Order: sequence, then C-alpha cells, then structure tokens
Amino acid sequence: MWTDEQRRRLVLEHEILQREGFTQFSVYWYRSTDTYEASGAASSNSGRAYSLAIPIPSGFPYQRPPMYLTEPFPLYMFDGTRVSSLGVSHQMHTLAPCSNGFVQLCHWRDARWHSNILLQKVFLKGLLWIEAYEQHLATGRPLAEFVLTMAERA
Amino acid sequence: MGDPQQQQMIREAMKAIAERKPGRSKLVYDKTKRTIVAVVEGAQTPRALNITADDADMFAVVTVSSRWLREQWPQIMRDRVTSTLFSSWDDGDAFTQCNLGIHPAPSIIQGAVLFGDGIEPPDGTQLRVILTPTQNSNLDPSTFVAPDGSTHCAEGRRTSNNSDEAVTAVFVDVQPALATRRAGILETSILSDKSVLVFGVGTGGAHAAIELAKCGVGRLILVDPDRLSVGNVVRHPGGLSQVGRLKVKVVCDLIRDKNPDAQILTHPVALTYANVETMKPLIAQADVVICATDNRPSKLLVNKLCIEANVIAVYGGAFRRAYGGQVLRVRPRQSPCHECFVAAMPEESTDIEVSSVADAEEIAYSDRPVAIEPGLSLDVLPIANMVTKLALMELLAGKPSSLSILKRDFDAPWYLWLNRPEPGTQYASWPPLSESSDEMTINRWYGIYFERDLACSACGDFTSALAASYGIDAASLETLSSLPSKE
Ligand SMILES: [Zn+2]
Repeated sequence: MWTDEQRRRLVLEHEILQREGFTQFSVYWYRSTDTYEASGAASSNSGRAYSLAIPIPSGFPYQRPPMYLTEPFPLYMFDGTRVSSLGVSHQMHTLAPCSNGFVQLCHWRDARWHSNILLQKVFLKGLLWIEAYEQHLATGRPLAEFVLTMAERA
Repeated sequence: MGDPQQQQMIREAMKAIAERKPGRSKLVYDKTKRTIVAVVEGAQTPRALNITADDADMFAVVTVSSRWLREQWPQIMRDRVTSTLFSSWDDGDAFTQCNLGIHPAPSIIQGAVLFGDGIEPPDGTQLRVILTPTQNSNLDPSTFVAPDGSTHCAEGRRTSNNSDEAVTAVFVDVQPALATRRAGILETSILSDKSVLVFGVGTGGAHAAIELAKCGVGRLILVDPDRLSVGNVVRHPGGLSQVGRLKVKVVCDLIRDKNPDAQILTHPVALTYANVETMKPLIAQADVVICATDNRPSKLLVNKLCIEANVIAVYGGAFRRAYGGQVLRVRPRQSPCHECFVAAMPEESTDIEVSSVADAEEIAYSDRPVAIEPGLSLDVLPIANMVTKLALMELLAGKPSSLSILKRDFDAPWYLWLNRPEPGTQYASWPPLSESSDEMTINRWYGIYFERDLACSACGDFTSALAASYGIDAASLETLSSLPSKE
C-alpha cells in the first residue's frame, strides 16, 4: 500500500528528527501490519512526562496526519473535566478525539495542511501545546491564550 | 375550422405568409363567423381583420424525432401505424415527443404516427401525425425522408372533446441540429471522443459540466456524494423539483437534456483517501479533470492523483462570499501544481468560499463556528466559465479549431478574478473600473505566472532536495534500514 516515495519520506522524516535533536521521537514501522507511526515521550519544562503519537495515514504526506496525546490518560483540565469531552475546541486547540479517547491536538488544520510540512514541525507544535496546557492548569485560563503566536503557516 | 378544404387553404396561406411571399390567398378574421377564413387576394373584406406574418404562429405544434421515426420505419410499413407518447405543454400549445428529452411535461398524451389518412389509430390516441407521400423535393420541417429515400409530408390532428384540430407537424434531427449550431467555432464532433472528469458538481462544477456538454464533449464523469438541498437551489442549475436527489443525478439529467448522445457516468462518492482506488481508474479515463471542490484536502488528493496519472487538471474556487475567485491549470511536471501553488501563494490558496455546513466544519472549531456565507451564483459563474474555457483549450490542443488562437491568451498557470474590492483584503484599494486603464480592477481576468517548485513534494523531488539540505545522500534512503520496527 505504501509507495517507494512514501517510504523514503518516512525514513528521511526519522533521520531529520534524530539530527535536529528530537531524539525522543522516532518513526516506527509495524512489521506485522506494515503500518507506520511516529511517536515518543515528551517532557515539559516542569519535568512532567507526556507521550505523543502520530499514526501515519495512507495519504501521507498529502493527507494531514493526526497527533494524539496518549499519556497521561485520561487527560484532565483545570476544573477536573476530561479534555476529550470538549471535542473540537478552539479554546483548548483540540480536534476530534480518537475513538479510544486520546485527545487530538490541533497542529495544522486540514485547510492549512500541505505536504511540505515535516513531522518534526508537527512534534514541535505538540511540545508547545504541552507547555500551554501546563499554563492552563496553573492559571485556569483557556489554553488558546498561551498559543496565540503559534502561526499556522509553515 | 372543421372544413378540410378551408383548412388546406388556410395552411397554404399561412405558409405564404410565413415565407413572406405574396400568396394567392390571405387570412382574414371574419367577425360574423367569428373565425379566421382564407380569402382570395383582392377580394373585398370590409369587416375583416387582416392577419400578418407576425400572427402566423396560430397552430399548436407537434414535434417528432426523425431518428425515432427512421427506427420505426419497418414497423410503420408493416402495420401502417405506430404509437408514441407526447408531452403536452402550455394548455395544448405544444406537443413534444417524450423521447426527445428527459424532462416530460406534467401532462402526457398518447399519440400515433399513421401512414395515410384512412388508418384507425389505437384506442386512447389523442394526437395523430398523418404521413402522406409527396414528390415535393422542397424539404420543410414537416417533411420526413424515410430510410428508403421516400419523402412524406406530415400533418397533425388533435382530438379532444369530439373536435378535431389541425396541429403543425415538425420533424427534428437532434444531433445534426445541435452540431450545426456549434459548427464554425467548434468543428462538428471534434470533442465527441473526449472525456472530462468533474469532481464536485455544486454550482461551479455543475455549470462547467453542462457547458462542456453543450460544446459537444462526448463523455462526462461526475463525482459528488451530496444531495441537492433547498438552500442550494438559489445557485445550483438544479431546481426545487429536484430537491433530495443526488447532485450527480440532477446534473446528469440536465446534461442529457442538452446533449442526448453524451455518455455520462455518475459516482456519488466522497473524494477521500478511503476512496482512492475508486478515483484512480476514473482519472485514468479522463482527458481533463476539473476539480470544483471547496476544501484543501480534496484538492491536494486530486493534485497528487492527477500528477501520478499524468492528467491535466483545472482547479476553480471562489473566495469567501465569492468576492472573487481563482483558477489554476496544472499540466503535470510542466506547470506549477496545486502544492507548488500552496507553497508560493499561501494567502490566496486558503481564501475559500464557505457555502455549506461541511465547508464550515472544515475550517471551524465547535466553540468558534464559521458562518456559512455563500456568494451569489452570478459571482460564481465567471469562475466556472473560466474553468470551462481552460478545460476546453486543453481538450482542443492539437485539433484544428478557431479557438486555437486563444492559446497565447491562456498561457499563464493561474488566473485571478475579482467581483468586488472586498474590504479587509489586499484588493480593497483597487481603483474603480471606469477610472483605470493600467491598474488592476474588478471584472477582469488576470493571468499570473509563477514558477514550479522543483523540490515540490507532489510534482518535484522534495525528499531528495530535503535530504541534500541535511547532507544525506538521497540514494541511501532506499537502503536505510534505520527505521526502528515494532511487531
Ligand atoms: Zn508541485
């Protein structure tokens, strides 16, 4: 199902993650299902541990890949409600959650995605989201206030 | 007007009037008889009202397909009669054979074509078309040439409430008639072997598909999963009587009513990665693909598939509330593709019209909805026309046509049109149309050149260029087994 071009791209994406210092992230190949996933652990400035996962869709890189926050699970907001209960939210910069409840972080929306965007940049947005999330936990203010400068254009 | 002799005189007089030749008789309205009579020219008719050529359209008209009658000819020769159905329009002013088009009138009547006047039509026949052999070589619309070369003149008779009225019979040959009207600009049947695939048959896509069919494009493939809603009707060519039908079916019928010989395939499927295997063979059959969808993911998908299949694609889109629009023509690996366009002009490529709930959801968050703000049909049609014209130019490439001279005019890959200088956009300060001769204004097409990105991820070699920028040998990517694997 994967073209040579897609496989080459994924190998290169992995290589760039390593060379750019994003060594906690890798592109994994699932041998039994012949599927790909980019994932890894992320720790915030305060030292808390998170996990991010990007299942690679069949149309990658022309099709936008979703990014899920898989740990901690479930993920709670300041007031104790689950982040996934918001669904698509501008206040929290989230898109539709995964069927098993993982929160989908907004990196590029479909209307802005294009195939020149690297997974490295997607993970970078994930790291920024985590910092903003911790600001939200500390202050109770919407996450969107802390990511105003996250320009969507690459 | 029951007197057959009188009727024959009237018919001859009508003919003379219609041809604006002086006849031996003319028609007058006889107030005492309260009817129209034919009188010999020069006769004194003091109390009569003269009828002029402008009044000549006085009989109802029955229209019969010549092609159908030629096919029926062996049966007519054998049985002397054949039945058919007619749409009855406008209180019996026009009877159109149902098989000529696809939209029947609310009222349908049974009719028959009879060979000779003495034949008894089947029960329930309300309209008769009676053929009489003629030696007259002057072919008018009421004359039919049979497959055996014999000629026949026809007259119609309408039976209602025990009265018998004359009806003018007209034969039509649909295909030659349509081709004749296109001839001169587009040589007959020059496009009949061409296929166009249209993704999205909303207002713009439907208009483009119908216009191409009118030009004589022989094969159209329509892809759209949506149904026609009441809200669509103010812009879409489909009408209220079609609400609820799949848009591909509505447009298919509109096309068949314009070009009955066009072959039309309809696919009510969404343009998503899940349906890629359905799309690929459709694209492979197409000479040109028109992408008239309004969201980025579907355009990027079409872009990738068309580049892979080496098929030319034309993308059309309206800006929000259709204050303007743009058209991009992509000749794979020769001109910039849609990804090149996105990279070169990020502002223009994301300014899209939000004309449906789905479009709005595409760009909205649930706690910050985007209003549905469709533009006017009037403002979408210039863009749809440009899409059609660019597609037409590609279909005619290499074929002799009077449109070939336009090649130099449609050289640029990207075209911009503004309906109004929308406040808040970079076009707000454009000068008024009437005051400008050398500055950009509304209501004009601008062809704009930009370069193809050789490192484009869709039409170039993005991976190699990117690898090189990291000092990685692109060839090593094929063999790099550095990806960690999991079971
Ligand atoms: Zn390109």
